[in-house]
Order: sequence, then C-alpha cells, then structure tokens
Amino acid sequence: MKLINSKEKKEFNLPSLKNIFFIVLSFSIISIIFIASYYGITLEGLSPEGQIMIGILLMAAVLWITEPIPLAVTGLLIMIIQPLLHVLPPDEVFASFGNQAVFFLIGAFIIAGAIEKHGLHRRIALKFLSQFEKTPRFFTLGIMSSCAFLSFVMPEHGVAALFLPIVASILIAMKIAPKQSNFGKISMLCVAYGCSIGSLGTLIGGARNPLTVGILSDIGINVTFFEWMTYSMPVVFIALPLVWLILQFSFPIEIKDISAAKKEIKNQVNIAGKMKKNEFLVLIILIITILLWIFLSSYTYFGLAVIAILGSILLFLTRTISWKDVEKRVPWGIILLYGGAITLGIGMQKTGAGAWIANVLFNTAGFNPYLVILVMIVFTVLLTNIMSNIGAVAILLPIGLALATGMPGISPLLASMIIALSGGLAFMLVIATPGNAIAYSSGYFSTRDLFKAGSIANILCIAVIFIVATVYWMGVLGI
Amino acid sequence: MFKNILIPISSEYYSKGVLERSVFLAEKFKSTINLVYIIETKTLNQTDRLTDSHRTHYEIDETKNEIIRKQKLAADNIIFDEAKHVFKNKNISFEEKIVEGEFSDVIKSEIVKKEYDLILMGFEKECILNYRLLDDINIPVWVESKNENKSILAICSNLAPNQKVPAMSLKLSEALDWDLHMIYVVDIKDNVQVDEQGIRSDKKQERDLVFCGQNFVEEIKNKSIDIKLVKGDLEKETLKAAERINPSLVIVGREQKKKGILGLPVKNIKRKLAEKCDYSLLFVN
Repeated sequence: MKLINSKEKKEFNLPSLKNIFFIVLSFSIISIIFIASYYGITLEGLSPEGQIMIGILLMAAVLWITEPIPLAVTGLLIMIIQPLLHVLPPDEVFASFGNQAVFFLIGAFIIAGAIEKHGLHRRIALKFLSQFEKTPRFFTLGIMSSCAFLSFVMPEHGVAALFLPIVASILIAMKIAPKQSNFGKISMLCVAYGCSIGSLGTLIGGARNPLTVGILSDIGINVTFFEWMTYSMPVVFIALPLVWLILQFSFPIEIKDISAAKKEIKNQVNIAGKMKKNEFLVLIILIITILLWIFLSSYTYFGLAVIAILGSILLFLTRTISWKDVEKRVPWGIILLYGGAITLGIGMQKTGAGAWIANVLFNTAGFNPYLVILVMIVFTVLLTNIMSNIGAVAILLPIGLALATGMPGISPLLASMIIALSGGLAFMLVIATPGNAIAYSSGYFSTRDLFKAGSIANILCIAVIFIVATVYWMGVLGI
Repeated sequence: MFKNILIPISSEYYSKGVLERSVFLAEKFKSTINLVYIIETKTLNQTDRLTDSHRTHYEIDETKNEIIRKQKLAADNIIFDEAKHVFKNKNISFEEKIVEGEFSDVIKSEIVKKEYDLILMGFEKECILNYRLLDDINIPVWVESKNENKSILAICSNLAPNQKVPAMSLKLSEALDWDLHMIYVVDIKDNVQVDEQGIRSDKKQERDLVFCGQNFVEEIKNKSIDIKLVKGDLEKETLKAAERINPSLVIVGREQKKKGILGLPVKNIKRKLAEKCDYSLLFVN
C-alpha cells in the first residue's frame, strides 16, 4: 500500500504562544531575583550569589519541564548565565565541563554507536528473546529482561528504539492491532519499563548516572563502575520482577499461543544471518571495555573516561566505526545538557544555595533521616516524571548533597545514589523519558494504560529504593 | 442514503466494531466503503520532540521511519486484511489507502476529494480528534460503540435548528427497521431559541422556550413518533434518556452553543457526549 503525505513539511516554525510564555516566565524569574539581589534584598541566611543561583535553578526547572527551547540549549544557558550575573567566574564554570565523566559519556556513546551500526544489539536482543518463547507471560518477561540487560551496555532510549520494531513485528505477525490486546499493551510497556529499570544498573544506561559520579568526584568521592553496580543491581533485580508482576495484574494476558511470535523471531534471526567479522570485533571490544571498567576503573588505575576512550579508539583502529558514524550517532546535545547540569550543581554548592534549601527543608521536615530519605525518593520520582531525568537529577543532586552534609546518618554518597536511582523511575507519563515516548509511539498502549501501571510501579519502586537504601546501602555497605 | 461511506482509522485506535457496522450499513444502503488508515503525525512529532536532545537526528529519523514502516505493515496485514475478508464475503465494494497526517485534517482533506454521505469511525477517550471537526463538516459523523439493541434516540432542543435530525432519524428508523424515540430538551441553562438558520435569539423566558418546544413536540407527534419534552441541561438530559431507552444509536444535531473568548464554544457538548455515552452517536449538521 502506497503512503500518501497529507501535508508538506513546514520549513520554519515560529515559537508557539505557549513557548514564548514559558521563555518570558523563566527570564522574568531570574530577572526579578537578580534585581532584588543587586539592591541587597536577600532571603535570610542567603548570600546574593546564592539567591541568584536559586533563581537560575528555578529558571532551569521551568525550561527543563516545559521545554520551550531544546534541553541542551538550556544546559548552555545555565553555563553562560552564571558568569553573566557574576555568580561564578567563567574559568570555574567551564572548568567543571572538563570533568572526566563528560569523556566517559562521549566514549560510551561511540561504543554504543558501533554496536548500533553493526546491529550487534539486535542480535543480542533476538538471542535473549528466543530463550523466553514458552508462554505469552514468560515472553513478556523476556522482553523486559532483554531491554534491561541491553540497557546495561548502551543508552536506554537506544534500546527502546531497537526493541520497538522487533516487538511491533512480532505483534503484527500475531495479528494483534494497537490497543486491541493486553498482550500488546504489556509487551510495549515492558519495553518502556525494562529500559528504565535496566538503565539504573550501570553507568552507561542513563546520562544521569555519570552526572552523579561527576558531581561526586568534584567533592572528592570517587565511584567506580563496579561500585556503582554493587549499589544499583539489587534495585534492578528487585524492581524488574515486581514491575513485571504489576503489569500482569493490571492487564491480564488473554492469548495462549505464541507460535507466531516464535516464527517471527526465527525469521528475524535468519534475516540477521551469521555473525559478521565487524560485529564480532565490536563484541570483543565491548567485552574488553566492560571488563576494564569493572576491574580497572578506580582512580588508582585508569578511571572511567580513559577506558571509554580507549574502547572507542580500538573501534577506530579496527575500522569498525568511522568519524562519519560518530557524527551520525553521538548525541552531542546530551553532552551540553550534561555540562549545564554539572555546572548548576557546582554553582549551587559554591554559593551556599544548596545548603540554604537544605536548611529550609530541615526546618520543615525535621531531622529524621528515614523521613528525609523517603521525601528525597518521592520528590525525585515526581520530578523525573514531569521533566528530563538528567534535569531532575541535576536540580535535586546539589540539594541532596547539602542535605547530606547537615544530616547525621545520611552521607553524600547515599543521598546521591538515592536521587540518581530514583531519577530513573519515570514510569507514569509519556513525556517522562524518551524510552516511554518511543514505546508509546507504537500505538499499542494509551496514556491511561501507562499512568495506571506506572503509578503503581512507581509506588512499589519507591518502597524498593527505600528498603535498599536503609537496609543494604546504610546497613550492609555502610555508605 | 449512504452511498459513499468514509471510514477513517487512526494508527492510535482501531475498533473492529466499525467494520461490522460498516458491513451492516453497506448491505442496507448498497454503499461503497472507503477505508483510510491514518498514521498520526502528531504522535510521531511528539516522539521526535521528546527524544530530540537525547538522540541524533539520524537516529530519530531512523526510528520514525521504522515506526511508519511498522504502522503501514499493521494496516496492511491486520486491518485491511480483516476488511478484505469481511467485505469480499459480502460482496461489498471498497477502497483502501494509507495517509500520513493528523486525523481531523485528513478527514477534512478526504471529504474535499470525494463526495461522501457518511463518516463512520470508532472512538476512545485518548483518540486524537479535534472535536471542532464535528462542527465544521456538513457530512453526518457516526461514532460507533457496540450496542445490540435496535432503536434510535433522536435529540432535539432549543439550541439546535431541529431540521435535519427529525428527517434523518425518521429515514434511518424506516430503512433499518429500528424503533425511533425522540426527546426535545429545553436547556434552561442556555435560555435562547435557535432558529432554522441556526441563529441564536436573545435570552428568553423559560415559559417561551417551553411553548416553542411544545409546538415542536405536537408537530412530531402528528407523524406518529414517540417524543417527550424535558427540561434541564442538554448533555445531562441526553445521557439520562439514553440510559433509560438504551438505544443502538443516538442522533444529535448542530447545537449553537454559547461562544466564549475568540469565538470558541464554552463547552463542547459533542465531545462530552462522545466521551460519556456508551451508545453509537450520529452527529448531523
């Protein structure tokens, strides 16, 4: 059937009234706060620089939530507005952009680009899925586990984009139309949630993880690849089956036969053919890089970025990736977003704005560490559902770190892990994370379905992180 | 009566009930069916926007093309396949095509290209439907919701010209051999009288509105149609009557609602009915 385009693409779009409103609102906030600070009107206990920094935080929050300009441009704006308003000198602002976590991200994106270029991720996904062909229910567990597993080694939205056509092909082969079947709903929701949960597991899954490691390293706390995994994996392995169970209860599967799915996977495996030389090389380099990250990423050895860049250079040396591929597949916007986020965190710390907010929170919520942990988790989960994950973590991390310095029983590492992992639990809304948006575009589930399952999943995962934080991180690991 | 039926199917929502209803109508009226599968660009653009900073344009385009390919495949392998099976068995002539665009815009452009007598569609709350479409077009729109009963409920009111609804409901009830029930709602919250040209009068006393309503009811009763006059809110009274009669189809006309800022209607009765009503609706303008 031939596809007809109903409208010509517009070449240029003027910003909508809504976007103009939010841009004006964000600049009004910072202008009012700046003028007040300039004339010496400051809140009690807050320096003029700290007050302006809170204004920048509010401006960033408005822009990151409403997105009238690209997220990355907001990142750039955060960087330049600090020297413009004399909060921090340009040297200090741009120095934080040289953090090794930035280069870790670049290296990780290049490696992920090579995996995508040669279709290695598709092969791994199909191999994994073919192990779960017994029953429809087990098959959905397979989709979720495969997404989570692949999100350990490449960015979560890349995994969602990979699984969308694979799962859609399977559903079409089973003659399941969008929104007609609970099996279709669960399958696509498993893609969205599997990617989100898997992205918590390692530093590669979501950019918020290296952001956390970067901000921690600025205050002298170094977290290695392996250490991150020891902190995060219990959350992944508890949350994954729990969320899968929630989906099973929310949308009882009505089909019994998955022979069409088996056939389609077999068909796709046949299309993929035998493993090619370049694919094999990428796999070897990936394994070497991961092993190096696990065993030698501590600061006494090489550090995260050196290994990531080493892996990337190996890919270039073996000609498995070219610079053209890098230009195609490395999202530089994320790097800029990351830069803005990290400078925001450092600015909040250096001007005392984070400590001031923490103080206000102490006066409101009291000094009960368990209550503070719970509030941190709930607040991060709510914020990450209405804005970019990395933005939510960037806004809350400096506040969490300041809370940790003033609160006995909560270390900066503990507060950071709580915020970083809670920041990945964006289950309720389509806008919450690119993974949700990609899975939603399949048409197999509605926004209501996502909210229904996502709200229960979020509540349960809040409990999971709270228990892991208080029992495992505080009790067993003593962080 | 319905020679050419347009069935727009959104990539966001597909109802098998629409195909079944179209077979029923096509057999009764010897109609030709035109299936248009609409790949919703609104959803695709939303995905592009939400992934913009996280993925490169190359990757975004790759995913978008992949989604379009899969939706096209779903249309060909599932929806058109089912349609072929159903229509060919009943010897109903039909055409099919896939269009990329926004649901309401595609419908508007389709009705310009060809002369249609009816638009038949499925509906769910999350459907991407611009409800102003229902006011903007002159072709009857049938929103299908499965109900096995064989009766029609026609809604007239002081807010509508009440020209096409009685005529259409009478024709349909005769052609389909379904019972016809009618109500005339005097909307006491919006106390104006709409004339035959669809122009709202100044505010009127309730007794004047009731008087006009009674005249209309008498006129209809003379045609041996079961009709009742009720006072209240148009939307609520429609829902109440639908609950009482449990019809297969509710026929609603062109209400001239209060206009708010920028000339937009204060409330869209059609939207509310479509979202709340569990019965098929036929909007006649």
